[in-house]
Amino acid sequence: MAENNPKDIAVIDFAVREHRSLWLDAWRRLISSNTARLGMFIVGMFVISSTFAHFFWAYDAKLDLDYTLKLKAPNLVATEEIPSIHPFGTDKLGRDIFRRVIHGGWNSLRVGIVAVGISLLIGGLLGLLAGFYEGVPITNLERIAFMGLIGLTLGALPGWIAKQPIQAILFTLLGGASAMWLNFLAGRKNLRIAVFAGAGLLIGAVPAFFVSPMAALVCGVLGLMIGAILSLPLGGELFSNIVMRLMDIILSFPGYLLAIAIVAFLGPGLEKGMIAIGVVGIPVYARLARSAVLSVSQKEYVLAARSVGESHGRIIFRHIFPNILSPIIVQSTMGLASAVLSAAALGFLGLGAIPPEPEWGAMLGDSYRFLTSGAWWAVLFPGLAIMLSVLGFNLLGDGLRDALDPKLRT
Amino acid sequence: MLIRYTIRRLISVLPTLIGVTFVIFMFQRLIPGDPAVAMLGEHATQENVERIREQFGLNRPLFLDREALAQGDLKGFFDTQYLRYLGRLIRLDLGESIHRRIPVAETLAVRFPATFELALLSMLLAIIIGIPVGIASASRRNSLLDGVTMIGSLIGVSMPIFWLGLMEIMLFAVFLKWLPAGGRLSSGIQVEAITNFILIDSLITGNQKAFVDALEHILMPALALATIPMSIIARMTRSSMLDVLQEDYIRTAKAKGLAERVTLFKHALKNAFLPVITIIGIQAGSLLAGGVLTETIFSWPGIGKWAYDGILARDYPIVQGTTLLIAIVFLVVNLLVDLSYALLDPRIHYD
Repeated sequence: MAENNPKDIAVIDFAVREHRSLWLDAWRRLISSNTARLGMFIVGMFVISSTFAHFFWAYDAKLDLDYTLKLKAPNLVATEEIPSIHPFGTDKLGRDIFRRVIHGGWNSLRVGIVAVGISLLIGGLLGLLAGFYEGVPITNLERIAFMGLIGLTLGALPGWIAKQPIQAILFTLLGGASAMWLNFLAGRKNLRIAVFAGAGLLIGAVPAFFVSPMAALVCGVLGLMIGAILSLPLGGELFSNIVMRLMDIILSFPGYLLAIAIVAFLGPGLEKGMIAIGVVGIPVYARLARSAVLSVSQKEYVLAARSVGESHGRIIFRHIFPNILSPIIVQSTMGLASAVLSAAALGFLGLGAIPPEPEWGAMLGDSYRFLTSGAWWAVLFPGLAIMLSVLGFNLLGDGLRDALDPKLRT
Repeated sequence: MLIRYTIRRLISVLPTLIGVTFVIFMFQRLIPGDPAVAMLGEHATQENVERIREQFGLNRPLFLDREALAQGDLKGFFDTQYLRYLGRLIRLDLGESIHRRIPVAETLAVRFPATFELALLSMLLAIIIGIPVGIASASRRNSLLDGVTMIGSLIGVSMPIFWLGLMEIMLFAVFLKWLPAGGRLSSGIQVEAITNFILIDSLITGNQKAFVDALEHILMPALALATIPMSIIARMTRSSMLDVLQEDYIRTAKAKGLAERVTLFKHALKNAFLPVITIIGIQAGSLLAGGVLTETIFSWPGIGKWAYDGILARDYPIVQGTTLLIAIVFLVVNLLVDLSYALLDPRIHYD
């Protein structure tokens, strides 16, 4: 049949192909990949079993205790000696390990979600702002606010030393004024610095003089330096620098050592563990968001939005944020994996959940001493649970990366 | 150029270092309760508490003494807890263990070689296994070997290393009884301490029995600790090699008939190596932190085990000292990685 030329069909097919959004496209790629499917299956099992267990399978950790069943090996059929069935065996207090592993999942899930939430919210926002203001010049109003803030922060030090809050306010005004009159003495840089440093010296020394001459000296020197700093056109670069240096400090504690340190000092508890793991994760998201924003902020659609005069807030949330979502989603999935691992490490060290609360790491920490007497089941199963759930999140993260960014596929 | 870059990089570490000391110092203040009471116990007399507070400067202000300044006393203004702490750090004085009354710095000096020996051997294991495996799976992409490597490395990064250590103990020490379950040397075997690296010391003194014994002891913890870096190095080597293998110059090399071995190792590996080095550096730092768990499992007498004991005993000077040492080593390793990067890649501008 002449009219059904295969070439035409291809054209028609292309023209009427249903419209698919980026996310639908990514979803199709995701479910067509084996690793991602496996990851979704494991994560799904993990989420469903622990949620159901939490809401529909009553378990009171405080009452769970049976000394007659101490450290029994796994059994699948009831015998006279062990009347109940324990597929994963029992631990040193005669508690059913299967039950505790399933219930422990809820705690791991909670830690993962809250910790990643904390680091994502704080780190992501900081990185977003740092990257944006590093890549895009700030407006006059923003500069006035920013330099006022710098003045306030720096001025707080002499103000605190001399107990004269007026100093902080005056430095805030000095910062704002400097931002407002950037052209003032712009040609003669040294003179401009000298004028502002002199103003800073006065602001620092005069109020402090009422405290003591020595205080006036210290605050005067501080004021001199602050004034000199405030004379410079401070902007996005500095903001980004400050944020990223703060992140460097957090990053200079390797791995979960900082989390261990934080919990060691805050005291044990699942909630404190969540906070600690979340804080440790902040710089990861800050760095990721910053570099993603930097690469996006030079794209034509951002330039276009800037040139038609859209506000910075609108540019950030309408144009930049949606375009940096994919690396952040991938990282968050992987972050869930490492949060579960860190939580297990904390629990193992006795810094996570408070006993007798079921938590995988704490279960390992409880029973690893019985390994030498042959109680392998008390160590094997909680560890397997950790490994499987972490593996699930990692597989899903890998799959998501391939699905969301086909260019990265190797 | 490189020297200037080195100096600038060194200077840029300083604020981070100060930040680290600040964080560690603040931890001390976050402990609920009075450190002096913690030192003396619950039943200490008020008099003794005051004496300890005076002795350790705990009655001084935290950062700057405003009152002293108001009196015109500039020296008193700077005589505060944090600045005293910094002063002590510069003199390498990390304080005393609360319970055992021994200087933290001395014990760290004795225990650090044990940690370092373990970390070094793990890193070596990770590199000599991870890199060849990565290269092999990149050059035979989608083969069985590649699949096994990828799945294996994914499982490797998903495993809690302390659990892997426990499984090793279960298999090799409890069931098979091939290797000792923990410690650094069997009791009864002695090695003259020269470098405090037992493997090296026993080699120098020609003590073959001790060398074999030490090797048997270090094998399991090193393997456990090496798992994560090994997996990550293998993955990184593979993906970096795959990137490079798509380059034009590789096609040229293949087209002119170079042996595959030469193409792989001379043309591809050199260019694929930079990201691998970064990853090795990052992992080297976290090996020290990972040591806390691994050393605990294997009763390895390093700083990690000591930190764990310190956490359990609420012996904060130990925890602070260990944390500081690990953070500093981590910073130094990162610095070295950055410098090696600049040295190896002439395209990098040092600005």
